[in-house]
Amino acid sequence: METHPKRINRWIPLAFLLIHSVAILIFTRGFLLTRTELPFHSTCSDASLSPCLSPNPPIHHSYSNQNQPKCWTKPVVDRVVIIVLDALRIDFLAPSAFFPAKPWMDKLTVLQNLAFGNESSAKIFKAFADPPTTSLQRLKGLTTGGLPTFVDVGNSFGAPAIVEDNFINQLVLNGKRLVMMGDDTWTQLFPNQFHKSYPFPSFNVKDLDTVDNGCIEHLFPTLYKDDWDVLIAHFLGVDHAGHIFGVDSMPMINKLEQYNTVLERVVDILESQAGPGGVHENTMLIVMGDHGQTLNGDHGGGTAEEVETTMFAMSTKKHTTSVPPEFDTSSCKQDPDGKQMCISSIEQLDFAATLSALLGISFPFGSIGHVNPELYALGSSSLNLDNTKQPAVKEWMKSYVNVLCVNAWQVKRYIDVYSNSSVVGFSSDDMSRISNLYSAAEHNWSNSVKHILMYNDGNEDSTNTSALKAQIAAYLKFFSSVAELARSKWTEFNLSLMITGFGILVISLILQSLAIVHGDNKPYGVSSGLSTGAAFTLFIVLIRACSFLSNSYILEEGKVANFLLATTGLIKLRYSVMRKTMRKEAFVFLAMVSVLRVSIDIGLTKQAATSQFMSSSPTWMLGLAPDHPALTYAIEIAPILSVAALICVLYVAIARTHSEGIWKYVTVGSMLSYFLIALLWASESKIFGFDGLLQVIGGRNIIPQTVYVIGLVQLFLLASAHMFCSGKDKNWGSRTVALVSACSSPVILLSGKQGSMLALAYLLAGYCIMRLEGVERRTKSDGQNKFSKLDSVCVVQWSLLSVCMFFASGHWCAFDGLRYGAAFVGFDEFVLIRQAILLTIETFGFSIILSVFGLPLLIPSHGEKRHQLFQMYMLYGVISATTVTATILCVTIHRRHLMVWGLFAPKFVFDVVGLILTDVLICLASAFYL
Amino acid sequence: MNEAKKKKTETYVVVSRDGSMSALGAFFVYLISGLFLGVGFWVARNKFAVDLVSDPSLTLFLLWSIEFPVVAIVYSFLRKAPEKCSWSKAVGRSILGLISGAFMNALGAIALGAPVGMQYLPKTIHWSFLMSVFTFLPATAVFGASWTDWHRAFASMKPIGNIEYMIVIPAYGATVGGWFGAWPMPLDWERPWQEWPICVCYGAIGGCIVGQILSLSLMFLFRKHKNLKVA
Repeated sequence: METHPKRINRWIPLAFLLIHSVAILIFTRGFLLTRTELPFHSTCSDASLSPCLSPNPPIHHSYSNQNQPKCWTKPVVDRVVIIVLDALRIDFLAPSAFFPAKPWMDKLTVLQNLAFGNESSAKIFKAFADPPTTSLQRLKGLTTGGLPTFVDVGNSFGAPAIVEDNFINQLVLNGKRLVMMGDDTWTQLFPNQFHKSYPFPSFNVKDLDTVDNGCIEHLFPTLYKDDWDVLIAHFLGVDHAGHIFGVDSMPMINKLEQYNTVLERVVDILESQAGPGGVHENTMLIVMGDHGQTLNGDHGGGTAEEVETTMFAMSTKKHTTSVPPEFDTSSCKQDPDGKQMCISSIEQLDFAATLSALLGISFPFGSIGHVNPELYALGSSSLNLDNTKQPAVKEWMKSYVNVLCVNAWQVKRYIDVYSNSSVVGFSSDDMSRISNLYSAAEHNWSNSVKHILMYNDGNEDSTNTSALKAQIAAYLKFFSSVAELARSKWTEFNLSLMITGFGILVISLILQSLAIVHGDNKPYGVSSGLSTGAAFTLFIVLIRACSFLSNSYILEEGKVANFLLATTGLIKLRYSVMRKTMRKEAFVFLAMVSVLRVSIDIGLTKQAATSQFMSSSPTWMLGLAPDHPALTYAIEIAPILSVAALICVLYVAIARTHSEGIWKYVTVGSMLSYFLIALLWASESKIFGFDGLLQVIGGRNIIPQTVYVIGLVQLFLLASAHMFCSGKDKNWGSRTVALVSACSSPVILLSGKQGSMLALAYLLAGYCIMRLEGVERRTKSDGQNKFSKLDSVCVVQWSLLSVCMFFASGHWCAFDGLRYGAAFVGFDEFVLIRQAILLTIETFGFSIILSVFGLPLLIPSHGEKRHQLFQMYMLYGVISATTVTATILCVTIHRRHLMVWGLFAPKFVFDVVGLILTDVLICLASAFYL
Repeated sequence: MNEAKKKKTETYVVVSRDGSMSALGAFFVYLISGLFLGVGFWVARNKFAVDLVSDPSLTLFLLWSIEFPVVAIVYSFLRKAPEKCSWSKAVGRSILGLISGAFMNALGAIALGAPVGMQYLPKTIHWSFLMSVFTFLPATAVFGASWTDWHRAFASMKPIGNIEYMIVIPAYGATVGGWFGAWPMPLDWERPWQEWPICVCYGAIGGCIVGQILSLSLMFLFRKHKNLKVA
């Protein structure tokens, strides 16, 4: 009778851990698309490995004496001006003949006139972005020529700088000088690459003009200078106007009209300098959007409005080559005057490759785009200046096919290397399909086309042309299948996997609830329908779960948890007044909740400073100046006093629980750790005069390391004691105190000085929860087994309290919310596993580790404990799993939401890690306690 | 919930069961208080050209300072044990009740997460006075410092007689309404009424009205029930 349930109890948490892991693994495979960033870079000399002609084929002697350094392809433009207009919808630029007329259309008339005028070397493209359509991901995609995902493995957490090979990096490697102005995202992504940069802060969405005016101020003078090769100007006004006012608004139209005048001036300057010998003799102007926006100004997802942006390209050389109709993607409409207007289309994926080809630099290693024929044709007017005997189209095709050859070789190389070195590569079927396409094209190249290009005899023009066309078509087929594969791998969620994972989680929730209810029906418990407490628990848990369906509540999750916790506190207060007991505890609990909420507020202001979704409204203002001497004094003193208080609490706990033997020694060890922590903090502050202490004991790492060692020894002692004296010692109180205190000292140390105060508040609040346990039925059913039934409200309170502790200790669910500094408390050098463990302890210390291990403290002093403890752990697990299920449902619904990568996905990662950690700790705790 | 029943010791235990208040009378009391709430809004809009959104603290001040005398006067007529406690004494203790109730409401709001900052202080104070007018003021006017009455009516939820129904149910309605009124606050709709304490006020007023309707219907049912019993 006694051993049988014990067996079962230990296995059930393990089973749920497994089920949850499987469910989360399946879901993550469908949701978190991962891509491995490769550390390789292309260099000019790589091209000799390709089967293609070098840019200086021996027969073209006329080119070899040019003094420009040659790389993969022959450069066709000298300088490029890239003007990025953030969130430029296609209908802002393309003529209104293509759409139902709306007031914001046809405002950028200067570009339209250039593109559709006679004798023009300009073109408007419809550009397709790939989701996620957020500026940072798009800039990364544009410059690397790849498809950035949420988890680009290898990305250095925290710093957004692009480490993958990219277009900007290639420019620098090839000695091009870059000038950047506008959105400071560029300088975050490329901290060292710019020759000159004029960044302006982009986070204030309500500010429509700072970035744009800064851009304009620097743009015009720079255009006259010749100390740069590539100029990037990033305007943000349209994006911000969309976010604040929406597309159909006066500020948006004003912005577009302002851009029109700016662009008119830019074009004037370029054309005035375009003559022979001018600064802009061979310059290409590109005006492009990084992504579109919906009519409400939202972007981030994959709807047509968001991914369809536009690009305008113009070469200052007037003579242009037309593209053979096979490769022309343009669609044409008649304008009211009967004039033919055509816009072509381009993928943003191809931007890096095309610009690299135009400028004649090596393509970024990870680029999977291909050189766009029409954009390339715009720039290639310089090819046939001295070679007039051949038709322009044919000459263009010859150069284009060679560019494509290098391009195809580079893409194939990337796919091969990626597939070999990535964590999750491509399937072998896909790989063989791609390889077949490539080898077919490559075979054709080596056997026939290469000869046509090398031994240009001028005969059989028609066969040559068709061979070239077939070759180009073969390459384009290869590229499109690569892009299709990459998209399916990196941008498309696998909905069936996601739903499967969600379904498994829901089933596990039902099973877990059944386990609790089943426990209730055992003879230990009193079975009584749905009691008020259970109904209230369900209500709170469901409200919290539903709150995750809105991004606003996720942003303010700490406040929501605090609100619910305070609500439970008020209900308890009402009951305690009703029963005329524990009123003091109820008030202290509410006071602690208020302390936590102030702490949460401070944490939220820290989050608002970095979050792109939160406005930093200073709701918290102290009358005191931050450097007031009394305040600094209090800040130094309070943590140390709190540690002293904690030591006293432990002392009292030893005395009260009648600890004996090993449990007592472990607890005394924690007191020693606390003392060391207090000593460390006292020696770090200046007011105690302990400055010399650190030198005496030899460095500031000694004390933290000692604390870690003490903690490990304590855990070891506890584990061995449990193994050897299992079943003998039934003194739960002392066991729990020993375990929690052993875990708490590293947590407090890592949390820094606020840690001790928070621990004290946590302890007090937990004590109040314990005292208030079952207050609502304390006198109702006297005499009949009153404490054996599980009090679900107190477990909910404990769980909410732990959530509040997560936020109160200054964390939030984002990767910039991690406190990397904590990983280096006690250590100077970086060892991945050790530092990761420390960071995990710091992040989840209060909210999960102490919370799970401390759960037995809530059990009242009598009743059938072991069974009740099992139920409490199951209930705690159900509450955690419910919130995670809600998060998962939320990311499934919002998978194309604007904030999916900025907000929902980090929340998902934190919740999932938290759930797995909770499950593991519940397993350990039930092994230890049960 | 305003569990602010931390009151003085039980001074006197007088339970006068004067079920004299009829449902119609209660309806008139509600009508008067609702009318003066409307007057408060009217004065704010037409005399001071403010509303809850444009200047919450002034509007709230106008609301509670117009509503408070009316509620204090009306409920003081309904005081318990009128032979032992004069009308003016009832009005006097209701002022004390207003202040202590405001204090309790403010503490509760801060525990639930109302913003604490110098710029929010006046709003919080005026809001808590208005809440106190809805919740504490009638009770202090009627019960005084009788802890047993408070305890029975609010904590145990066992109000006796129509007057206690009139006090307890709208008070709970206002707090629950305010609690629900806080829910839209974090949403990113960027509406001005989402600011503290505007939507909480709307919620509290709405909850109070719902409570009044509920108490009226309960009184009605109760009366019928009693009639049935008598018959």
